Amino acid sequence: MLAAISSFLGSGANIIYFMIVLPLAVGAVLWLVNNYYFRLILALLSAAVNLLFAVSLYRSEGFYLLFPFSSGGLDIAFNVYRFSSLFLTFIAACFLLVILYSVVYLKGKKHAGLFMLYMYISLAMMNGAFMADNLGVLLFFWEGLLCTLFGILLINNLHNPRTAVKALTLSGTADLLMMLGIIITAYQAGTLYISQMEKLPVSGLAAAGFACMMLGAIGKAGSMPFHSWIPNAAEDAPTPFMVAFPAALEKFLGIYLAARIAMDIYDLQPGSGASIAVMTIGTLTIVLAVAMALIQKDMKRLLSYHAISQVGYMVLGIGTALPIGIMGGIFHMLNHVIYKSCLFMTAGSVELQTGTTDLKKIGGLGRKMPITMICFIISALAISGVPPLNGFFSKELVFDAALESNLVFYLGALLGAFMTAISFLKLGRAAFGGEFKLPSDRGDVRESSAGMYLPMAVLAILCVLFGVANTLPLDGLLGPALGDTHRYSGWPHSVVLVLISVAVLLLALGDHLYGSKKSGGALYAADHIHYAPGLHGIYNLAERQVFDPYMWIMQLANAISAVCNWIERGIIWLYDDAVTGLVKGAGTLLQRFNDGSLSRYLLVAVTGVAGIIVIILAIN
Amino acid sequence: MQVIESSTVLIFAVPLVIFLINSLFSKRLAEKFSMGLAYVAPITQIVATAACFVQIAHLKQHDIIISWDLAGAVSMRFAVHTYSLVFLFCIALVSLASIMVANRTVPQKRTGFASLLMMLILGMNGIVMVTDLFSLYVFLEIVGISSFVLIAMFKSETGLEGAFKYLVMSVLASIMILTGLAFIFMQTGSLQYDHLEASALAGQSPTQLVLIYAAMILMIAGFAIKTGAVPFHSWLPDAHQSANTAVSVLLSGIVIKVAGIYGLIVITGFFGKLPGIKLTLFIMGTISIIIGALFALRQSHFKRIVAYSSVSQMGYILLGLSTVSMLGLLGAVAHVFNHATFKSTLFTNAAAVHEQTGTYDINELGGLEKKMGVTSFSSLAAFMSTAGIPPFAGFWSKLLIIMALWSSGARVFAAIALFASIFTAAYFLRLQRKVFFGKLRDQLAGITEIGGSVKLAQIMLTVVTIAAGLLFPFALLYFRGIGLL
Repeated sequence: MLAAISSFLGSGANIIYFMIVLPLAVGAVLWLVNNYYFRLILALLSAAVNLLFAVSLYRSEGFYLLFPFSSGGLDIAFNVYRFSSLFLTFIAACFLLVILYSVVYLKGKKHAGLFMLYMYISLAMMNGAFMADNLGVLLFFWEGLLCTLFGILLINNLHNPRTAVKALTLSGTADLLMMLGIIITAYQAGTLYISQMEKLPVSGLAAAGFACMMLGAIGKAGSMPFHSWIPNAAEDAPTPFMVAFPAALEKFLGIYLAARIAMDIYDLQPGSGASIAVMTIGTLTIVLAVAMALIQKDMKRLLSYHAISQVGYMVLGIGTALPIGIMGGIFHMLNHVIYKSCLFMTAGSVELQTGTTDLKKIGGLGRKMPITMICFIISALAISGVPPLNGFFSKELVFDAALESNLVFYLGALLGAFMTAISFLKLGRAAFGGEFKLPSDRGDVRESSAGMYLPMAVLAILCVLFGVANTLPLDGLLGPALGDTHRYSGWPHSVVLVLISVAVLLLALGDHLYGSKKSGGALYAADHIHYAPGLHGIYNLAERQVFDPYMWIMQLANAISAVCNWIERGIIWLYDDAVTGLVKGAGTLLQRFNDGSLSRYLLVAVTGVAGIIVIILAIN
Repeated sequence: MQVIESSTVLIFAVPLVIFLINSLFSKRLAEKFSMGLAYVAPITQIVATAACFVQIAHLKQHDIIISWDLAGAVSMRFAVHTYSLVFLFCIALVSLASIMVANRTVPQKRTGFASLLMMLILGMNGIVMVTDLFSLYVFLEIVGISSFVLIAMFKSETGLEGAFKYLVMSVLASIMILTGLAFIFMQTGSLQYDHLEASALAGQSPTQLVLIYAAMILMIAGFAIKTGAVPFHSWLPDAHQSANTAVSVLLSGIVIKVAGIYGLIVITGFFGKLPGIKLTLFIMGTISIIIGALFALRQSHFKRIVAYSSVSQMGYILLGLSTVSMLGLLGAVAHVFNHATFKSTLFTNAAAVHEQTGTYDINELGGLEKKMGVTSFSSLAAFMSTAGIPPFAGFWSKLLIIMALWSSGARVFAAIALFASIFTAAYFLRLQRKVFFGKLRDQLAGITEIGGSVKLAQIMLTVVTIAAGLLFPFALLYFRGIGLL
């Protein structure tokens, strides 16, 4: 049956109708029909159908479709092959869980329909972006996602679009770089079609193209320096947004393109300057973002910093340009989507039941919400890299690749793992352990409904499954898709690295215990790092957004607008005051001279005659 | 030939006969009928001009000479050619508008006005039809004296002052022109156009040329005074402002062009190739455009703005002449025609506004658009034409002048002429905004649109302005087709 579906999709323009137009249509219906059960059924059904299509495409041989669109070189070219259809499958599976969670979470909330519409537009855009072979067409879908991002962030904050504008500015800057990169790349390659490109060497102008495209791609994934809107969104946006966008969808898209840039479009050599640069960005993102996560006292904000930090591992892995690194990066992305979506879902569950995610107000939720807590623990262990969960295996692959490149990157990654573990120990114990802190009238806090814990449970099980049976994703999915026959599955081959990782985790546990004893509470367990001499000042500056690239962009924009304003004022002065003043002044002066006295008139006339004489004498 | 001869007779005879009739009848009777009778002259002239034009187009002859032998002793020769027909038509049109305006603005001394107007028409007709410089001077004096009296006859203080200034300057101009004539006569021995054409510059040594140069300096200055070009313009706004508006229509609409510009056309036709003449006219034209516009921007008297605008527009005509080329002459004559129509319109509007509101001060006016729709629209059309906005007539003539300047190599002057149009738009926009646009002032609430012959004049002139603009390219093609260009 799957073969029949895939051959059906591959004929004519069906792929456009069923992968792109259908989600748009479903989104429109969900937007217009405001009935919970109808919405639930249609959303699940359509997401399941989309998954079915994606799986059938993945199982098929793949195909290349060309839809002549215009003469401008912007023909719609879709290249459905192992790698892209694998991502289609990932996104379809993820979308199914996210949409179930969203519908339940947003039950009875205002603007739920609009949120659905944006979600389905995003799905259509991502399907298109994964299949596009033409960089121009890819850019179209890519920018479409920027629009839905902006739209969703506006939903609840129409009158205070601070975060939406920030996200638009930062993501827009990243997309602008992407656009520039695509222009340079197409110019260098002489074609817009990825399948026709021979891997360009990263040098000269092409290096600029590589840098722009790579920055655009990892910027979409949420890497530094285009990351700083995510913590703001964690405060302002509905939680399903966090589950969907920063945790899952954008990671898929950004890392997909980053991998294709490194593998298909450019010839990224291990140890080259470009590789080092990408790895540096990755490592910085890991360390700096997790350092910020460490001091957060709000569950969603804390998780959002991890959503940034974890991208660092993926970028680091792909940046090594080693097969093991790319494999590790992509595997980590997959794992990240699983456990980070799960984590955001638990945060949403907590928020829905208690009305807050502020860790100072909640505590001891474990007894009231056992399923949420279990899911949280599993995914928190996974993100911290505790064996034998999925996060452990992908991190080990990245560690391996980083060590092969340079010890510095390995140490940075290790530091990140250390702090990740600390912050999740703190988060878990503060939220689910200890005393129940909510006011007594909120004692009726209970477990969320099945529609919410079902996706969480599925994701938590996947965390375990992809760890214990890591041969399934590594050798079953990613290996064939990347065309890499090396077997990465099973236990990491380097015992020393595993031992070091475990030691780091134990060290983190020790630090946590020391910290909570010293400051008297799990929530304040990281305070001895926060207020450590030297670090304290830096943290203060960071909290005042001194390091926020958005603020730099805004300051630059303000400076430019000040200069423009100054220039415009000058121009306005020129024709508003200077010219009119001159004309009026001249008129007044002449008027004063022309006072009606006849003798003066005659004098002027005689002067005129003299003038004529002078002219004629001068000419002859 | 017969048609042209009899038309020429009519053009001279009708004003003269009307003048005589006015003088013969009793004062009371004449006061009643003279204004109505006056219409006959311009209407006859329009018909006669049209007939002449048809005849010229038929004969395909540029220049037709008609000789009259008076009692076998004195022989007078007149010429009819395309350009003089344009001037004759303008004279008739503006005179017609002036009579229509005078119907309202001249309550007394109607006979005097009508008779003097007849003399003025006669004089102007003479200027454009004569074939020697001395006759031109004689008719120039007729025009000068008639206009002087027309300004002065309404016995207002300012009218007298303006007339006196005009008289003084006019006399200065006459002296210069007459002296210039004498110099030319000394040099060439004849003032006949055809003799001048042949002998003007033939084989002259530099010392002999001195006389011609002296004559040129005097005559250019003299005609420039008559034209009102800067720096000989000072009398013009005073005279035009203080005269009765019906007279202002005449003075600004046609007299300065026939008495000044036509004279310059004649002398540049003979001596324009002399070095220095072109540059003199270039400079005079440019400063006229700019200074006239600057003056116009600072005035608050309706008629003064329009009068200074005349100074500025005369500058364009001078620039056209200064190229001493076919194209430039064509542009200049076209601009004479356009200026005659739109300037008459504007003065007619000034009369209408003054008749209805009692003031010329634009600061006391505002929002008349709603009350005086016809006046407002005709004013808008006239100023768009003046500013040279397509498709109004002024655009085409300015375009021709600028093209002529460009192709004669005076590109700087072409650029100045082009950009000075902004000034034109500026002062007229100011006028239009202050008088017609904006909020209606409370004290003007009871104002009504002017009716009768003044309204008719506005409509007539606006129709001519718009039609001339729309038909201009076709008319040019037609003239070219029948070989008159």
